[in-house]
Amino acid sequence: MVQGEKEDIRIKFSRLRNYIRQPHIIISLVLLLLLLFIVLIPFIKMVKDSFIWHFGDTRLSRSARPGSFTIFHWRRILASQITRNVLLRPLLNSLSTALGVSFFALIIGALLAWLLTRTDLPFRRLLATLAVLPYVIPSYIHALAWLTLFKNDRIGGAVGIFQYFFNLSPPNWLSYGYFPIVLTLSIHYFPYTFLLLSASLSSIDSRLEESGEILGATRSYILRRITFPLVIPALLSSFILTFSRALGIFGTPYFLGSPVRFFTLSTQIYSSITNRIPAAGYILALMLVAISSTVIYINQRIIGRRKGFVTIAGKGFRASLTPLGRLKYPALFLVVALLIISVLLPLVLLVWQTLTLYPGDYSLDNLSLLFWIGRGNTEFAEGEAGILRNPAIIKAAWNSIKLALTAAVLSGFIGIFIGYAVVKGRNTKLANSVEQIFFLPYLVPGIAFGALYLSLFTHRIGPIPALYGTFFLVALVCIAKNLPFTGRAGITAMLQIGNELEEASEIAGARWSTRFRRIILPLSIRGALAGFILVFITVMRELSLIILLVTPKTRTLTTMTFRYQEQGYTQFSSAISVLIVLIVVVGELISRKMGKKSII
Amino acid sequence: MKKIIFILLSLCFLFSIILIAPAIGQKEVAEGLSPETVAWLKSAALGDYASETFDEAALYEAAKTEGEVSVYSYSSRVFKFGPTFEEKYPGIKVKGFDIDSPEMVTKVLAEQNAKNYMADVIFIKDPSVVVHELLSRGLVFNYVPPDLKGLIQKDYREPLLVHHTSVDALIYNNEKLSAPPIDSLWDLTKDEWRSRFLFPDPQKMSEFVEVLAAIIENSAGMAADYKRVFGKDIVLSPGVENAGYEWILRTLNNDLVIMASTNDVSNAIGLSDQANPPVGMTAFSRLRDKGKNPNLKFDVMYNIKPVIGVGTKVVICIANQAKHPNAAKLMIHWMMGDEKGGNGYAPYYVLGNFTVRNDVTPVKGSRSMEDLNLWFADPEFVWDEGQKILEFWVANLK
Repeated sequence: MVQGEKEDIRIKFSRLRNYIRQPHIIISLVLLLLLLFIVLIPFIKMVKDSFIWHFGDTRLSRSARPGSFTIFHWRRILASQITRNVLLRPLLNSLSTALGVSFFALIIGALLAWLLTRTDLPFRRLLATLAVLPYVIPSYIHALAWLTLFKNDRIGGAVGIFQYFFNLSPPNWLSYGYFPIVLTLSIHYFPYTFLLLSASLSSIDSRLEESGEILGATRSYILRRITFPLVIPALLSSFILTFSRALGIFGTPYFLGSPVRFFTLSTQIYSSITNRIPAAGYILALMLVAISSTVIYINQRIIGRRKGFVTIAGKGFRASLTPLGRLKYPALFLVVALLIISVLLPLVLLVWQTLTLYPGDYSLDNLSLLFWIGRGNTEFAEGEAGILRNPAIIKAAWNSIKLALTAAVLSGFIGIFIGYAVVKGRNTKLANSVEQIFFLPYLVPGIAFGALYLSLFTHRIGPIPALYGTFFLVALVCIAKNLPFTGRAGITAMLQIGNELEEASEIAGARWSTRFRRIILPLSIRGALAGFILVFITVMRELSLIILLVTPKTRTLTTMTFRYQEQGYTQFSSAISVLIVLIVVVGELISRKMGKKSII
Repeated sequence: MKKIIFILLSLCFLFSIILIAPAIGQKEVAEGLSPETVAWLKSAALGDYASETFDEAALYEAAKTEGEVSVYSYSSRVFKFGPTFEEKYPGIKVKGFDIDSPEMVTKVLAEQNAKNYMADVIFIKDPSVVVHELLSRGLVFNYVPPDLKGLIQKDYREPLLVHHTSVDALIYNNEKLSAPPIDSLWDLTKDEWRSRFLFPDPQKMSEFVEVLAAIIENSAGMAADYKRVFGKDIVLSPGVENAGYEWILRTLNNDLVIMASTNDVSNAIGLSDQANPPVGMTAFSRLRDKGKNPNLKFDVMYNIKPVIGVGTKVVICIANQAKHPNAAKLMIHWMMGDEKGGNGYAPYYVLGNFTVRNDVTPVKGSRSMEDLNLWFADPEFVWDEGQKILEFWVANLK
């Protein structure tokens, strides 16, 4: 009896050993551990920090003892005279903004996707390339461009172009607040829906629709009952992406909302933390996480039920194009107009603004290159040199590039491991949990994610020194936040590599490290590069995520833009924004070239 | 398998909790100074060990061996007095950092907590926070160059050396209007100034909490002026404590426009060729912008009752355990300028900033501070009341 039990344990133990010795299991476990550090621990720490007194809190209450437990902050946010203006109204504003943005971005993106994949619209290929561009431009650029165009005299000073030329002051609702925030963010976010839906639409076999037609269904009936249900999963995914991004966005509501006292949770988090009441900021960040998790949970439930369509079968496949007929050229006009408004116009406006000597004067004799190449001995903007000569800005540019590259390379690399672990362990619980858990950083809205890291790394934790103020911390937050992208890219890349390749070399006696270095990495690098580029672009134009974490040493171009805009030096902030777009475009061109060369 | 993963995960979890736990009880700063601090004060000749005489040559020699000095400055003007310092004292490199005041406090607290002593000179607004959160905990120390002691009155030397007084005042567009359109703070609560009174955001700029605090501390003066303007005693809204708070409430209800910066306020009001320019509060020193931009036309309203504005202090001190104390002392001496203003003080020798030295002639075109009708923010009152004022402000934003 006893003998048998011992045997049993031995067998179990050796099974366990064998199980754990599989490379993808080890990788999965390491990844889970990593995740613990980059998401879970910061989260727990933030919850805890919302329950303790901080140093600055002695201003709030004489009984504050830094470090000890209190529910003061929760009571202050949830039930005090400031609750309405710090929590309730911002919460409502955040929700309605995110929903509004999702609604319009989905409509614009879906329509565009249908026009460019399923109709005979001319120049479809070119237009499809251009349609992704609004995403490349930092989102607050649209906000700054909007102000350039529609700023009215409520906040006095230099008026917008509209008022300059038409001598008519735009009403407040048009210049600031909900309407422009939703509009500019929709323009920024529609490429998500466009990309996802284009992919989904082009994989629908048009014979499904044709069979409906043969059975006598009308066009609208087919669209409603056949096409639409097929793309619902893609639509819902687009909704998640857009919603959670829009929820955590900081720059746009800050620039466009403040003049009319339109606050969102993200702007309140920022103001609590800059006011040195971090616990209040953490509580609001938790609210943000709660909202996005709830919405995404509901969304997942709906997708889960809808998942069962297989439209790509092993049979012949054909996608026929719907002729637009007389609507062809009006549609083309609309698409081109949309792209001009969302890409060309903001950039032209910004460039124009950087060239005006006195803000708000758009006449030709007011043009100057001072803010680009001025030597800074002038009386403008406290005598700061033009951005191409300004050491602080050049340093910020290097910081930005360094940050974007570091984040792109490291998170891209981790992404390959995620892909390997998930694909090799396909359908096991462990692999599934790795896949799901790595989506977590996506659920946490940008500014809340920054708050998480702020709470964890302001102080020393065991052997880890206080990372606040270091480049490493800013890089870490960018890496972690982008893992969902690179993980996805890694999985896609890994799915395309047949198991037999690795097995063959395993039989030939190659160690795992050799296999990984010589077979898996070279084969997956191309796919991973897609994630790499995406992360580079995302980090290059990131503001919400890092605004709470940068310090003078680690300032990036985006935070410099923010600083200048806040101090009222619009030409500088516009010029830096233009510089960001230039770097992103150059970066993408280079990485495309590199990508082509490194393909074996 | 599931069990194993579960066990592994919970182990990690436990591990992480243990890891975090010590960080939660942030170390209480002990009463009195630590032995390390006392030793540093001795070697740096600060605090109780400060020298009674100022020997510039000896200080320079000592500073040269230190080689550099890092200055945390609330303003980008550190990039002006830094280079002139380097010219005057070759061999000492100035590392200037332009950091907003609240962020600087966070940074200094974090660095001191981590024993990562990066800062030498701290040049900062918001004296109430500096005194109560840094000075009282022994994280910064006061240094008054001994040769200046006789030239600076006591309340500008204690508890911290004041670099200059900055004034925030009401301005108007003097191109459109030949005279100030109002003569009392209470005029701003009248319907004709609805949506036309610009005020910088106190949630962002702590000096405007100080401005509001001064108005509240002097609520008796506010009440008296209400009576002068409206001819009757003020009736406070329910739950409002005094005439100062009442003024804040009424201006907010009159759609006071919140601005992002003092620069925005002066640009908004001063821009040439406006049909109906607003009025607003901004830094007095914004007057200097007029010389730079011919399109700016504004001036301070010198005759507003009960006051035209509020004076706030900018202080300067040395961080605990600073690695370059001698260079820091030399820097502070440099920043305080000389009897003609001086190169080190030059960036602040402008209209609207007032030196604390009594031997310096006022800037050309400037009135002396005594001639201006001002209230001064009291750091103790700001410390006691500041957050309450800010919450009152936030609660009443419509």
